[in-house]
Amino acid sequence: MELVCPAGSPSMLHAAIEAGADSVYCGLRDETNARNFPGLNFSPAELKAAVVWAHDRGAKVLVAINTFARAGEIDTWRASVDSAAAAGADAVIVADLGVLAYAHAEHPDLRLHLSVQAAAGAPEAIGFYAQAYGVKRVVLPRVLSAPEIAALVRETDVEVEAFVYGGLCVMAEGRCALSSYATGRSPNLSGVCSPPEAVSLEETNGLLTPRLGGFMIDQVAPGAAAGYPTLCKGRFEAEGTASHLFEDPTSLNAMTLLAELRTAGVRAVKIEGRQRGKAYVARVAAAFRAALDALDRGETTAPYEARLTGLAEGGRETAGAYRKTWR
Amino acid sequence: MRTQHWSRAAPRGDPAGVLMALRPPVEWLLSSALRRVAQRRPEVFERLGAFGDAAFLIAPDGSPVAFRLAPEGAAAGVQVRRRDDRSPCAARIEGPLGALLGLFDGSQDADAAFFSRAIRVSGDIEAVMALHNTLEAADLTLADLLGLSAPAGDVANAALRFVRQTAAAKAAWA
Repeated sequence: MELVCPAGSPSMLHAAIEAGADSVYCGLRDETNARNFPGLNFSPAELKAAVVWAHDRGAKVLVAINTFARAGEIDTWRASVDSAAAAGADAVIVADLGVLAYAHAEHPDLRLHLSVQAAAGAPEAIGFYAQAYGVKRVVLPRVLSAPEIAALVRETDVEVEAFVYGGLCVMAEGRCALSSYATGRSPNLSGVCSPPEAVSLEETNGLLTPRLGGFMIDQVAPGAAAGYPTLCKGRFEAEGTASHLFEDPTSLNAMTLLAELRTAGVRAVKIEGRQRGKAYVARVAAAFRAALDALDRGETTAPYEARLTGLAEGGRETAGAYRKTWR
Repeated sequence: MRTQHWSRAAPRGDPAGVLMALRPPVEWLLSSALRRVAQRRPEVFERLGAFGDAAFLIAPDGSPVAFRLAPEGAAAGVQVRRRDDRSPCAARIEGPLGALLGLFDGSQDADAAFFSRAIRVSGDIEAVMALHNTLEAADLTLADLLGLSAPAGDVANAALRFVRQTAAAKAAWA
């Protein structure tokens, strides 16, 4: 299985590949990708140099252009596709139908991957993207169980890529409008779940109070582990009880399921976290590289499963929907 | 003489006062290093974008003084301030010195430091993210911070690695 790792900067791309990534995915420094944070991402010139650097080392570069093109602004998305093609990217990761159509028509040799933002989890939907735009790979939404993935792989000829580590989104991806209510911006259109300009963090006597768009979304006790200040990870009171109504602040870690995913026919496994940095990607890529190599040798992944302690959001890990223990 | 001036400004029993009295050489060293990086690699600070003129107060835990960092612009440099300094700045970043240095050279994962509450940030979070992402991409080292070139720079970087590994080993056995 191909190990696909995140890169928010050229130095993070170097760290990922040196730690064992087969491919890295990255974005351009604008709203065309779903990690549009200040100071993050690549300029077209940086992307071009990164592709050369990666290819020299036998690695691939996949460019995420995975937000939805806004009416009246579609030239920005077209320009990103053109930049990726000019840089020699191995594939672009796209969700929007218009962007897919443009890339397919203008750059027929450019490989297309369907972003998780497209939320395509049914063989019929995936088949449509393949037939209409020549999509070669689908990144699955993070809401399918391992048996559901196995069944889906049997019903499609398109390569399947699955997230195995990092931030967990249990929404219908590409359709989440939670942060729009509080901030007017959304991951689908602006590339950010919680726009940083709308986030405030206040700590008084160890009590951490995150706010989004002025709304208090949690209170974290002194010393307790914190999560990202997103609405979906917030704690809200309902029927007299405060709880994480949407999802717990926790990170996905599906290393224990690698063997099952490989048997199911999953072609690539993906690490989330372009916003994290060199230290994160080096550690996660190295652990998953070791686990995948162990599987290739017919060994278990057990020795590597505790290597990522301390990186998880909220200090906790989960196998997420892959095991669906809550059903 | 300047040394007399520094000692005059250092009242007994006031650690912050002592450190404030010693601030001119520290500020000169750190500011010179910062400007050298900006001259040698101007692209490093392009990532700051709209936050080029922002200032950040970096406050190591347990230290009576903090460092006011202005990465770019006319006022680029580092100033030593009292820890309780409340003069205007974009954001305040607090945490153990080792973690702050780890964030500076990218050897520590900032999000994990936030999740574990080791690092505390307040103020303009967008500016903090811009600074973090700028430093992440810059690949700076302790030698860059201290303005040292090889072999002194190599020694400084090796010393920081040793301190970090020792701290990690201690934590693992605790």
